[in-house]
Amino acid sequence: MRSKSVLLLLVVGFCLVFSSVLLAAEPPRHETLIADILTGKVGNPGNFNFWATWVGNDKGLQQLVIDPLWMADYVTGEMINVLAKENPIYSEDFTTMTVKLREGIYWNDGVPFTADDVVYTVELSMATPGFGYHTQFNQYVEKVYKTDDYTVIFELKQPNSRFHYQFLDRWGACRILPKHVFEQVEDPLSFQFNPPVGTGPYKLVDYDLGGYWFLYELREDWERTATGMLYGKPAPKYVKFMYVGDASKKAMAMINHELDMADLTPESLEVVLSRNEYASGYYKDFPWAELLHPCVTGAAFNTLVYPFDNPEVRWALNLALDAKNLALTAYNGAVAFAPAYIPALLPYYELYYERMLPYLEEYTLEIDGEEYKIFNSNLPFEMAEEARRRGYDVPETEEEIRIMFGYGWWKHSPELAEKLLLKNGFTRGRDGKWLLPDGTPWKIEIVCLTAATNPSFKWAFAIANQWSAFGIDCEAIPTEVVESLTETGDYQVVGGQPAAEPFGAGIDLYRGLNVFHSQYWKPIGEKLVGHQSRWVNEEIDYFIDQMEQTDYSDPKNIELAIEVAKRLIDGQPGVSLASFPGFMGLDNYYWTNYPTGDNPYAVPWYHWPNFKFVLPFLQPTGRH
Amino acid sequence: MLKKYYIPRLIQYFTVVFIGLTLVFVIPRLLPSNPVESQLSRMMAQGQYLDPAAIEQIRETLQQLYGLEGGMFQQYISYFKRLFTGDLGPSFTQFPTPVMTLIKQSLPWTVGLLLVSLTISWLIGTILGGIRVSFPHSRLARLIELVIMGVRPIPYYIVALVLLILFAFLVPVFPMAGGYSMGVKIGFNARFILSLLRHAFLPVLSMVIIEIGGWFLQMRNVASNIIEEDYVVYAEASGLPKAKIVFMYIMRNAIIPQITGFALNLGFIFGGALITEIVFAYPGMGYLLYSAILAGDYNLIMGINVFSIIGVSTAMLVVDLVYPLLDPRVRYS
Repeated sequence: MRSKSVLLLLVVGFCLVFSSVLLAAEPPRHETLIADILTGKVGNPGNFNFWATWVGNDKGLQQLVIDPLWMADYVTGEMINVLAKENPIYSEDFTTMTVKLREGIYWNDGVPFTADDVVYTVELSMATPGFGYHTQFNQYVEKVYKTDDYTVIFELKQPNSRFHYQFLDRWGACRILPKHVFEQVEDPLSFQFNPPVGTGPYKLVDYDLGGYWFLYELREDWERTATGMLYGKPAPKYVKFMYVGDASKKAMAMINHELDMADLTPESLEVVLSRNEYASGYYKDFPWAELLHPCVTGAAFNTLVYPFDNPEVRWALNLALDAKNLALTAYNGAVAFAPAYIPALLPYYELYYERMLPYLEEYTLEIDGEEYKIFNSNLPFEMAEEARRRGYDVPETEEEIRIMFGYGWWKHSPELAEKLLLKNGFTRGRDGKWLLPDGTPWKIEIVCLTAATNPSFKWAFAIANQWSAFGIDCEAIPTEVVESLTETGDYQVVGGQPAAEPFGAGIDLYRGLNVFHSQYWKPIGEKLVGHQSRWVNEEIDYFIDQMEQTDYSDPKNIELAIEVAKRLIDGQPGVSLASFPGFMGLDNYYWTNYPTGDNPYAVPWYHWPNFKFVLPFLQPTGRH
Repeated sequence: MLKKYYIPRLIQYFTVVFIGLTLVFVIPRLLPSNPVESQLSRMMAQGQYLDPAAIEQIRETLQQLYGLEGGMFQQYISYFKRLFTGDLGPSFTQFPTPVMTLIKQSLPWTVGLLLVSLTISWLIGTILGGIRVSFPHSRLARLIELVIMGVRPIPYYIVALVLLILFAFLVPVFPMAGGYSMGVKIGFNARFILSLLRHAFLPVLSMVIIEIGGWFLQMRNVASNIIEEDYVVYAEASGLPKAKIVFMYIMRNAIIPQITGFALNLGFIFGGALITEIVFAYPGMGYLLYSAILAGDYNLIMGINVFSIIGVSTAMLVVDLVYPLLDPRVRYS
């Protein structure tokens, strides 16, 4: 009898522990969109004060609750007016910026949003060392004040034609904080801002003290938000941000319909697509990945280190690479090439690559008195052909193929690379391996990040293989201390970004190119401020100075940026390979109409601030 | 006894703790990663627009805020001053959140996970090890040994992953991530406790499966020597009940090294269980320490290790102090 009671108790207890139904307090799944926390477990989940920049950026707050003045959309190329009603108005000498604010917006605690909030955000940042924009605002802002409840004037210490970039949200900006909350606080730096008060369409409901999930609910007064005014009612009543683990766990969760949007690896996306009939990538078929992203990936040379200080050596190394093979090795061909240090991006295709194509096609390299055309504009079509050969469905038209694979890359010319190296005193040893001009073996080390899914890692290994095949003793070295090595110049080649990232909105590339200005240059041993290649060029300085004196929206910027790009091509401070390929998994079981390659209406990524603008377009499938 | 046994051990304890705390201060500073540069790159990686002209100034501001100005010795002195007041300083990666707050957030999960799995595996491993030796001809005992020895060489990661795939993916009866369910109020209430058990079940099970083997082996080896001792043979010859021989003559003597091992493992709890935390996306100290090392968060590394050093040293001290009570030979020697 006693043993039966014990058994019964055990069974009941076990059932209780097993039963998710009894424990479930989760919102209805068909009303909830679940997205992955891209940067992983949140270290300090209860702190929502991300004006103190130490707080994780990726737990739903900037995607759903907090708004910037302006937002960049790299798919449409537009700068979206969010809390600002219109684009910034600069004085002719760029010493004053006027911001007109959108009226009728309320914080989620019912207080109206006004110019006081903007002024207070800037003043508090200036007064608080440790706030993310403390340094920049003190550097640029002489005075900030309002002229009425919806107009803010910034008087600047020196002319700055792009001061509003501090407020233009790409994936980080000075967003606007609620004055009525922060002015009650004694120490704004240690203030937790919990619960967060925002102007966005959602409010925080609950979060995991362990940092694995955050739940947000649609505001009842969503129409009093910029999102509501611009795009209408967001479809999901709840949005949950959740980190389940690495790509394989995300794949498992997506197969079980426990995750709607996730950043995956090519391999895990393949598994999801084969196991979940409702799942898709950014494209329904090949190349699946989102290829057009506002950052260029590849590698950077340390141009202060011998022999990478010689532009002809850098050209030789680039010409020794077979771009098609690199793309197939690293990403199974899912790559949009970006040879001009400008990302392959829909808006930039038209503004830059289309214009530069004739220049690229005519680009010649002179070796020993002979001229060689070295650009392969046919590469996208070769990629399409290769993909078809592998059984993938690839578009037929030139325009579609260019959108998918870009405008081409440098020809694979090992013979020209050889000529360049021989010209510069390099020789081949008896074993066929390259020797430096002093007769010692040439050994190249490419340092890269340790995450095998990151382009830094993928390109470093693919490039190392090809340079090895060309006869150079080359090795890719993943290390956790890439930043430390590059900051002081203690490296030869680094896998990663050969140029900085532009906004992806508007025509202006200043943000991506200004790091090459010589005023930021530092010798080896001193900490890096400009670009990690430490490559500078007097003509580039001139064009960047010209950009600074030109309004950010003036079409003259296009010509100036193209001139900079041409100098970068001449100098080849890196291997400017391709835009960042993102392998996003989308589960259409509960929700559909995500932004995709076939329907690119907005930035598709859920970790960007634009996510709130995607939600009104999602459609529930009605499945429970 | 006090002079000869307890005082030398107390002196040894304080010396070990002091040396450990000093090493914990020095070693993170030898890391190639640097908290200021890590923070800068994190800011840029998270998309913040940093004008190159501002970067240098931000670097200086961070250096000041982190308290990394001044020489090593100066920092060393203030480190000990802070320690005595129970202040481990702010975390650099989660600035200005105090290290103590972060540890307090993570520690209960780790203590719960490791204490439960350690206790269960220790009890099962010890008892089964004793039984295996006491009943050498039992088929069941041999089968148990076969299973335990078969499982033991499997890498922990594989066992954890298999459990996860079986019970969180193929037959999803347990959650894939987290420490408790959404909507459950943390506290001493039935829903939270049940949710906690449900989330902790697979992580604990995975650790128990792997850890049993070690305890079993150690117990079996020690007990197999004891079973041949004269006093055990005499007890058997005297016709004492088998249970009394097993528990009072064999296991009681064989358990002393097990207790030492158990106490030492208790001390290691503060280091966390990184692989378990990663595989099951379970909160705890392991991931906290891992991310602190990657980001060069000196204060957080020091904070976690201070707990670890004091934990292990204190565990050893307690074992030393308790030994005379358990083992009369120590008392009389």
